[in-house]
Amino acid sequence: MAGHSDSNSSEKKSSEAMNDVPTFSAENLQNNMKVIYYSRTFMSIIGGVLAGILGFTGFMGFVLYLLVMAITSIGLIAKAKFSVHAYFDSWNRIILDGFMGGLMSFVLFWTFAYDIVHIF
Amino acid sequence: MAEDLVLDTAIRDWVLIPLSVVMVLIGILRYFVSKLMRSSQVPDPKIVKEGQVIVRARNLRAGANFIPPKSFRSRRVYFSNEENGLLFVPKGQAQNAQAQMFSDPNMAMDMMKKNLSMIIPQTLTFAWVNFFFSGFVAAKIPFPLTQRFRSMLQNGIDLSTVDVSYVSSRSWYFLNLFGLRGLFSLILGEENATDDTQRMMQMSGFGFDPTKSLGAEKDGLDIVQHEWALPKFEHRAEAVLKKLIR
Repeated sequence: MAGHSDSNSSEKKSSEAMNDVPTFSAENLQNNMKVIYYSRTFMSIIGGVLAGILGFTGFMGFVLYLLVMAITSIGLIAKAKFSVHAYFDSWNRIILDGFMGGLMSFVLFWTFAYDIVHIF
Repeated sequence: MAEDLVLDTAIRDWVLIPLSVVMVLIGILRYFVSKLMRSSQVPDPKIVKEGQVIVRARNLRAGANFIPPKSFRSRRVYFSNEENGLLFVPKGQAQNAQAQMFSDPNMAMDMMKKNLSMIIPQTLTFAWVNFFFSGFVAAKIPFPLTQRFRSMLQNGIDLSTVDVSYVSSRSWYFLNLFGLRGLFSLILGEENATDDTQRMMQMSGFGFDPTKSLGAEKDGLDIVQHEWALPKFEHRAEAVLKKLIR
């Protein structure tokens, strides 16, 4: 998807290859977190517009949001070539980070698209 | 009462879209104005020195296991020594720094400017929305909410039988306020002054930084158990070389 290649410009290696004494380059870690945040925001906006156009209401819309988040997570993990620990310091980051912020954008664009297409 | 209301197209054209466009534009305007108004303050050398000391102590803590035990201990004593250790701040001095920070006119002006540039556009826009766009149904939110939200969301609408999903324009304003934060971070780049939480973190990290974090760093440094990593390196080197040979 175009969104992925746009915002995943560079994910830098943030930990050395020492597996038993992990060291993290804070700057790279921060950069990677930013990449995750941008990807999630972008995908949640797209997902919101999609949900609105398709006419999902209520629970189905949130299911779609979870689906979009899961797809984003999988995309990010695939981009990190499945070695998550080389790029991030814990699993939770790549899966859960930016969830809430994305939710607000999702709801906004969902409401917007839904109203424009279905109510008016 | 689940029939669908049919809403006028004019509402969509003249309420929803202009409101969103105005909010986006105001956000962009606020970003540029705050960039222009940011006065370049000469950083106080004492503050900078303390900040660097904290960074050094943090690096020591992070890399503690890569230096021999004796040198780690000597470095640690250098930092947390009671008499002239860099991190040790006697209690009397700690209070002074805070008070001085807040009475310093430059910094007070700066904080006031930042506060104002956040609050004024929000207040103005909210007043504008209330004045022009009240008293009618503006949008329908696609998910159902309980009756308790009715008073919050349906502010200008005086019919109590209308479904709670039909909201007034005030709630559209709030929805925009929260939802556009993500959009701003995408279009304005990393540094944008629209996020409330970021602003609050900046404000709180202002006067309290040197005093409390010095004590925190000292405690952290005291806690560290030194475990020298060098003996393990031989095993690692052996493992790596074995892999290479195969």
